[in-house]
Amino acid sequence: MATKSGSSGLKRFFIGNPIATSEDHHQRISKKVALPVFASDAISSTAYATEEILIVFLSLAGVGAVAYSQLVPISLIVVALLIIVVTSYRQTIFAYPSGGGSYVVSKENLGEYPGLVAGASLLIDYVLTVCVSVAGGTAAIISAFNGLAPYRVQICVGFVLIMMLANLRGLKESAMLFAPPTYIYVASLITLIVVGLYRVFVQGLPPIEHTGEAKHLLEMQGSVTLFYFLKAFSSGAVALTGVEAVSNGVPAFKKPESKNASITLIWMAVILGGCFFGLSVLAQHLEPVKDHEGIIANTVLAQLAEQVYGGRNIFFFITQFATFAILILAANTAYADFPRLMSIIAKDNYLPRQFMNRGDRLVFSNGVIFLSAASIGLLVAFGGLINALIPLYAVGVFTGFTLSQSGMCVHHFKHREGSWRAHIAINGVGAVTTMFVAGIVVTVKFVDGAWIPAVLIPTMMIGFKGVHRHYTRVRGFLAPTEGYKAPFRTHTVVVLVGSVNQGVLQAVRYAQSLRPDRLVALSVIESPEDRKRLTDEWDKYGLNIELDTIVSEYRDLTEPILNRINEIDDLDNDDLITVIIPEFVTSIRSQWLHNQSALAIKARLLFRPNTVVTSVPIVIP
Amino acid sequence: MKVVMGIKDVLKISAKPVREIDAERLVDRFAKLRLNPISELEARDRTKVCGEVKRMTIKPRSGIPSMEIVINDGTGDATVIFSGRRHVAGIEHGHCIVVEGVAFADGNRLVFLNPAYSLLPMSED
Repeated sequence: MATKSGSSGLKRFFIGNPIATSEDHHQRISKKVALPVFASDAISSTAYATEEILIVFLSLAGVGAVAYSQLVPISLIVVALLIIVVTSYRQTIFAYPSGGGSYVVSKENLGEYPGLVAGASLLIDYVLTVCVSVAGGTAAIISAFNGLAPYRVQICVGFVLIMMLANLRGLKESAMLFAPPTYIYVASLITLIVVGLYRVFVQGLPPIEHTGEAKHLLEMQGSVTLFYFLKAFSSGAVALTGVEAVSNGVPAFKKPESKNASITLIWMAVILGGCFFGLSVLAQHLEPVKDHEGIIANTVLAQLAEQVYGGRNIFFFITQFATFAILILAANTAYADFPRLMSIIAKDNYLPRQFMNRGDRLVFSNGVIFLSAASIGLLVAFGGLINALIPLYAVGVFTGFTLSQSGMCVHHFKHREGSWRAHIAINGVGAVTTMFVAGIVVTVKFVDGAWIPAVLIPTMMIGFKGVHRHYTRVRGFLAPTEGYKAPFRTHTVVVLVGSVNQGVLQAVRYAQSLRPDRLVALSVIESPEDRKRLTDEWDKYGLNIELDTIVSEYRDLTEPILNRINEIDDLDNDDLITVIIPEFVTSIRSQWLHNQSALAIKARLLFRPNTVVTSVPIVIP
Repeated sequence: MKVVMGIKDVLKISAKPVREIDAERLVDRFAKLRLNPISELEARDRTKVCGEVKRMTIKPRSGIPSMEIVINDGTGDATVIFSGRRHVAGIEHGHCIVVEGVAFADGNRLVFLNPAYSLLPMSED
């Protein structure tokens, strides 16, 4: 008999019809499609990386126009870092054709704890990917429509909710969705850079004219210290986030997987590095300004586009919308990866099993919901400003890189295939460099928020270990030893009775069918008259079982029942008590009128050892 | 006795289980009768105890019913069985009775089988 409740209808409306497990086949994707799917996260960081460098110099250090002379050197260092990391990851792709995320690589090669550090930092990272990308997308929209600035947080939360719903429906890696925005964004970025540089160098386009706060920031006369230089560098280093996505998704490529993946990785690196560097050069000449509190609503990218295209015309809006779209896509990649990683960690027993469950649409629903909740929390706490979130972001990214690269070194050393010495050297350089960067980020941005992951990662590890310990203990406890036989137990059945009605009669009949060693009906009454009525009815229906009545002196129902069950339990040593509760089942609208006391009793009996609680339902249509 | 009560003391009072509150009530109530407390009862002693009826059980054992009651005087429980009966006049929940006889041990409980009993008035004031 199929029953359909109101809530499932609502769920169907939002989530869609369930999909069978056997329908789950991963489609293999070509390089052209893989680039947008896996690289949108990394490429999208060009939308805010340059801006973050400028914010440090202009708004935090207050160096004024000198900032622009630092932009290109920092960009060059970041691009060099990108080349090192990408070269390193190319090797991961070939070594782990089945998909080598940081967690898998570090856990396999470095052991449990490094694996957990990588897992924790990746999880934090994905949450921040959602936050930063959504905040960035919102900033792009606000740059196009300045009037929306006061609703920044609300817009961010709205986007996260929409993405949560979309992902609960399961849009995973559908190429049709990913390809256009990514390519439009890349095209619009390249156009902006080429047209911009042409206008600057050939037509002599002057820098942007600033007024108000921006002008004030430009007139500051601070000096560039090493501290702020490193700080600006660690802000710019966020451009590297998402680089590891390709190596995670190798199995999704068409054959030969590793080769295609590595070509895609290189394309991505070229686009990312080129655009980032190009934007920095453009920014150096056009001098856009941005502060760290969001007073200047327009993003650096918007300011550049406005100046290059000579106002807010169609090209400006295309750039803004493309930026918005790719950032939302970038956030969405986290929606694909975060739940998957959580399920892998849960499979290793470090996270609650619920995260392994796939929902109606074959997505890890609990992970999706968890990610959304965490992102919304962070976005609200930090007012939807990218700048406030960036210090939290880079730590996890570079910790992940470091562990993954170190893991690869160990991997090469263990296997010693081909030119393993060269491979170790490449990954070793990657590991040392990224570790160095992670150290810089934590040091210079500790007070700005880098302490949060520094505290959170160990805390999460303690949590992982706790969960693991519990699961291990439970498994050890439950595992049957050689020749184990379940012990024989005296069976006592207690039927809870209010008054005699059909439900009670059915429950008693059911209890008798269990053929227990002892069968007791138990009733809590309020007055001797109640008992009289009950015993009379008991006789009338010929119920041939022992009837216990207890008076509740203090009007409480649960306590006397529990006391009596304890007494009955004390009579035998290793007995099993089944408590049978007759329950009425009506409809969702009126169910709350019934069984409230039954619910309380059930809740109390749940943790009682050797106790089975059974409801005998009587359905009232 | 401490004059000043700390927060913990207050909590202790409010957290006192209902069972204990009830036990104190019963001890107070039966103090005047000066009978043996049930907690000091030994099997195979001839004694006289009193208590309030806490539980009543009717056992329909193959045509020969018996009524089993549990009395409590605030110090402990004693079981009283009246065999062959489904009903004993005057014995009802909340009533107090005095039981005189020899108790025997059945498992961890003390049982009086068909003892002499007398009913106490419902309330004394």
